[in-house]
Amino acid sequence: MLELKQMNRAVIVGHKNIFEETVDALHKSNLFQIEDFNEDKSGLHIGRPFENVDAVSKKLIKIRSIASLLGVEDAESKKQSKSAVLSSLDDTLEKLDAELDVKTEKKSQLEAEIKEIDSLKKELLPFSNISLDLDLYRGYEHLSVFTGYVDDNVESAVSKITSSYEIFYDAKEGTIVLFVAKEKSDEVTGLLADYGFREIRVPQISGMPAQALSEITSKEAGLIKQIESIDAEIESLKDKYADFILASNELLSIEAQKSEAPLRVATSESTFMIDGWVPEEDFPKLEQIVKTATNGRAFVSKQEMTKGDENVVPIEYDNPKAATPFQEIMDLYARPKYKELDPTLLIFISFPLFYGMILGDIGYALILLALALGIKKAVSSEAIKPLMNVLIYCQISTLIFGVLYGEFMGFPLASLTSHGETVAGLIPGFATMDLFASPIGGEMITYPVHRTHLVMTLIVFTALLGLIHINIGYMLGFINENRKHGMSAAIMEKGSWIVIELGLLLAILGYAAVLPAATTYAGVVVFLVGFVMLLKGEGIKGPIELPSLLSNSLSYTRIIAVGLSSIYIASTVNLIAFEMIWEPGTPIGGATIGAIIVFLAGHALNTVLSIIAPGLHSLRLQYVEFFGKFYEGGGRKYNPFGYIRKYTEE
Amino acid sequence: MATETLTAMDPAGLKAIGAGLAVGLTGIASGIAEKDIGSAAIGAMAENESLFGKGLILTVIPETIVIFGLVVALLING
Repeated sequence: MLELKQMNRAVIVGHKNIFEETVDALHKSNLFQIEDFNEDKSGLHIGRPFENVDAVSKKLIKIRSIASLLGVEDAESKKQSKSAVLSSLDDTLEKLDAELDVKTEKKSQLEAEIKEIDSLKKELLPFSNISLDLDLYRGYEHLSVFTGYVDDNVESAVSKITSSYEIFYDAKEGTIVLFVAKEKSDEVTGLLADYGFREIRVPQISGMPAQALSEITSKEAGLIKQIESIDAEIESLKDKYADFILASNELLSIEAQKSEAPLRVATSESTFMIDGWVPEEDFPKLEQIVKTATNGRAFVSKQEMTKGDENVVPIEYDNPKAATPFQEIMDLYARPKYKELDPTLLIFISFPLFYGMILGDIGYALILLALALGIKKAVSSEAIKPLMNVLIYCQISTLIFGVLYGEFMGFPLASLTSHGETVAGLIPGFATMDLFASPIGGEMITYPVHRTHLVMTLIVFTALLGLIHINIGYMLGFINENRKHGMSAAIMEKGSWIVIELGLLLAILGYAAVLPAATTYAGVVVFLVGFVMLLKGEGIKGPIELPSLLSNSLSYTRIIAVGLSSIYIASTVNLIAFEMIWEPGTPIGGATIGAIIVFLAGHALNTVLSIIAPGLHSLRLQYVEFFGKFYEGGGRKYNPFGYIRKYTEE
Repeated sequence: MATETLTAMDPAGLKAIGAGLAVGLTGIASGIAEKDIGSAAIGAMAENESLFGKGLILTVIPETIVIFGLVVALLING
């Protein structure tokens, strides 16, 4: 319990002619994490990749580019047999590549044509309202042609210069086409400049502009249709070959991994040495696998773990299956170091506990439970599943506390009588029962627990709960410190906190006259002893952190505070919907619909908040208040040499 | 003689104002503290996504201020 998997450092040595077999066996076993070899002065060299590496990576690049072109995504599909895929791989790949090449080439050709048409269209547009054949714009010896935009109609001004002219003016676009005799062209140029003339090019085609425009527009539509049909063909290629692409990508990735393995391994002229890590429990299995694959010609040996090794050991969790989703929460912070305790099991208990205590509502628990189960079923992603499992655990806890608190969507289930006034509950005839008087604030503990009427008691209770949680943290810190730096460091750094708390407790009990007055002095002495120990253990940092004892345990009052805010939001929504807008019992009408809308929208909002607020606050209590007492983290993930096949099988 | 109107402060009202101030002011304080940490945390996450966990924790640390405010407000009304 609370331990990580024990790891062994192992070295596999053999002759180079069994190198491939060994790598193959290691890859298949998926147990051994290779430690990369860095060349040093030992005379050993990094190995050369296996011969097939070029061919494999070429094919891999091809298949990946095809996959990204077709937009093939990971999907669940039937596993295909390795040999079947391998035998057809080259042919199918070539065929697919050729087919796709033709299609993409055609497509890019069409796209280029569309681009050309677009620019021609832009050129034609200014002339569209001038019905003059485009051939008539050019090829004159004694005429100058001006085509362009002007700010105003220039006809009257031109007529003053010369009487032999021909002008077309489109007021809407501001385009003019002006023909004048060549000898007048300089004068006309000067005149046009005054009217803000900007020349435009005449498109190099013939025919009427308007007609040409409509022709190319219909041509463009045809091209777009062609592109669409090519896209559909590509899409059908994708459907046809998706399984093949996924499977061959997997196979080739595996081959590439294997072929490149020598780059991580030390070799001499005729031997190889693979250095790495294997879980202790799997060492015999690894030995067996390597022996069988090489007829006992490769040698597996266990290495002594050095101090330096402890910082680089890959870390693998060792938790019961039920608690594994919470490893995700650990990884979000940091993996434990090799010698540290793994608190996953404690998080497995305390995270849903705090979450449930904060939310504690049957209605929200059921909604979120259904949501989590639905998402878990609908989404196949491996990243989402553990988070949904965490959410499910949290909702079970919420449901239990919901029954304890007797709350349903912010409505109390039981009726409550206080100060002579009775507030009705959701279940008729279910009245709150008094159990016993709380020692704090003159409040009465009841079933169901009405959090709104037990604020004082619950504040003190949650702070005490926090104190317990923090002290568990100190105890874990004690064990961690003992492992890392020995017993005396553990007593000084972590034990001192417990001594200080004990001193404070004695002093307070003495002061409050629960115990004889002399205990006050004893408490002060114990406190001072603890203080000195802390000073010795942590240096000046220790006393500075002393007030955190108070602030950390008060921080747990968020369990009641955040919970109350959630109740108030829910009951405010209920109040607005079912008292202000429409009161049950009054005639049903438009107001009823309004009330229902407010009710649904308000609770939808609060449901979202019900994941975020309790989740974040519960998480924070673990990360800041709890982990701060013992946890360091920063371990490396155990990532064995191998591949988890999804689309193929041996 | 002019009549002097005596206005008595309603203690319940004063309590409500006090509670409101406790939550409101601490809320502002949390916000001011979190804005700097939050933007720095996002910046760090842009460089290295694995810092999400640490960034989240650092960002919600000042949340304690408003929680204390909320607790004080509850105590005032309790």
